[in-house]
Amino acid sequence: MQQVNIERLLKQDKPVPLSPEEKEYLRTHYLKKHDVIPKWTHWFNAAVWGFQLFTGSALINSTLFKFMPDWWINMVSELFGTRANLLKYHILVGIIWSVVLVVNYLFGIKNYTIPFIRRNFVLDRDDILWLINRGLGILGMKVELPPQGEYNAGQKLFAMVAIGGIIILIITGFIMSFHIGSAETVKWAIVFHFIAAGGVVAGLFVHIFMAAVLWEEHPSLASMITGKVNELYAYHNHFKWWKEMKKLELEVRERERKEYEEKAKEMGLLPEEENN
Amino acid sequence: MARYAMVLNIDRCVDCKACVIACKAEWNVPEGYSRDWVKEIGPVGEFPNLKSAVYPGLCMHCEDPPCIKVCPSGATYKDEKGRVLVDQELCIGCGYCADACPYGARYIHPDLGVVDKCTFCQPRVDAGLEPACVETCIAEARIFGDLDDPDSEVYRLVYKEGAVPLHRGEVNYGASVFYMGEKEQVELLLEKAPLRKTRFSTAGTVWRIFRPLLGVAAGLSFLGVTVAAIYQLIKGEPKIEE
Repeated sequence: MQQVNIERLLKQDKPVPLSPEEKEYLRTHYLKKHDVIPKWTHWFNAAVWGFQLFTGSALINSTLFKFMPDWWINMVSELFGTRANLLKYHILVGIIWSVVLVVNYLFGIKNYTIPFIRRNFVLDRDDILWLINRGLGILGMKVELPPQGEYNAGQKLFAMVAIGGIIILIITGFIMSFHIGSAETVKWAIVFHFIAAGGVVAGLFVHIFMAAVLWEEHPSLASMITGKVNELYAYHNHFKWWKEMKKLELEVRERERKEYEEKAKEMGLLPEEENN
Repeated sequence: MARYAMVLNIDRCVDCKACVIACKAEWNVPEGYSRDWVKEIGPVGEFPNLKSAVYPGLCMHCEDPPCIKVCPSGATYKDEKGRVLVDQELCIGCGYCADACPYGARYIHPDLGVVDKCTFCQPRVDAGLEPACVETCIAEARIFGDLDDPDSEVYRLVYKEGAVPLHRGEVNYGASVFYMGEKEQVELLLEKAPLRKTRFSTAGTVWRIFRPLLGVAAGLSFLGVTVAAIYQLIKGEPKIEE
């Protein structure tokens, strides 16, 4: 196999045109993007969102509040027998959801939660520029996107909206389910519950479109299942992250090589001429 | 179909409040709250021309109740017999309905955290009994029955004797509770019976502002991705070469 000079690519500040060999190399090599637990958490979340939006949209039922037409509300209610049942399932799934998430993030607080927040809840210069240029790109202008980290600025923003939304939904959900506080508290809880849900839904359309429809992001959808992305995709779409991971990989390789060498030397397994 | 209704003969009412006590006892209404009431109106005017009236009341089981319009969860509903009821399993205790009722016929149960109100004694009536307040009234001032039944007493009192609902100004929701008695006293009651102005909390106002905004945000987002999806479909999928 032809040797590819990765060092050349690592020296750049942004993606550069690639030779066919480099492309082939990147396409056939993979980086680990998601651990098992975040992967399962994602799909668990997706399932819960589906169920809660399905039941919740039919629970909101008054001239002042409802979004969905009557036929939808009646159809979902009939599916569950009574509306009281519908509410019970909505609350039950909400409780399971909050328990799973709290346990998940508390157990992973050091290794996962805090690092994730540190990395993704801050927008740097490139991120702001990315958002502006991405917007211009949508409007049809040809502008270059600055290199991005593990998640691009759009993904970061959606993570903030989704996580903030989930926290609000869970707190207000408990207030409404168990009538915590005064009637005034419950009134505000309703408002925030619906605003949070509506805000996330607005972002969810884009999130689902990006992953399921947009061809550029197909590797990203696949990575939520396999946990891995090919390096060509990482190189083009998450350059800063690719560089970081690749450097780390080379460092580890180098260290391992040295360790083996030393061990081999100790055991006298190394051929003489290599020592010279 | 039936439309349960009640006629209150204020000529007969002696303000003893036995109805209030019967109701509290029947339905375990907590201390400090009640599902029905007897209030005194007046005296008004200059001595010696004083007027006063009693105002016995309960949920008016309106035809077009304002409480139902604001209930977010649909816990408040009108059953097929014209009763305005609360499904306490669905109620989340926000109290929008209590704020919306001009008669003040709803309260939030302090122990349960959900709304409680007069049901026209639904379980008793469905079992063939009279409502507790009607049964207990010493003066037979309360008459309960089906307003859709031409042979009923309430039908006669409302359509032939001219018993009137307590409507005033905007408060005109088709009450199913009617008042009769001496003309002067009924007029005083219609004019002076305390009605609350419908309250609408700040939270509700905030929601009124945010609802269209959320609709627009979600709508635009959906529209945007739909357009993008169609665009991609037309353009076709490029090769993932570069």
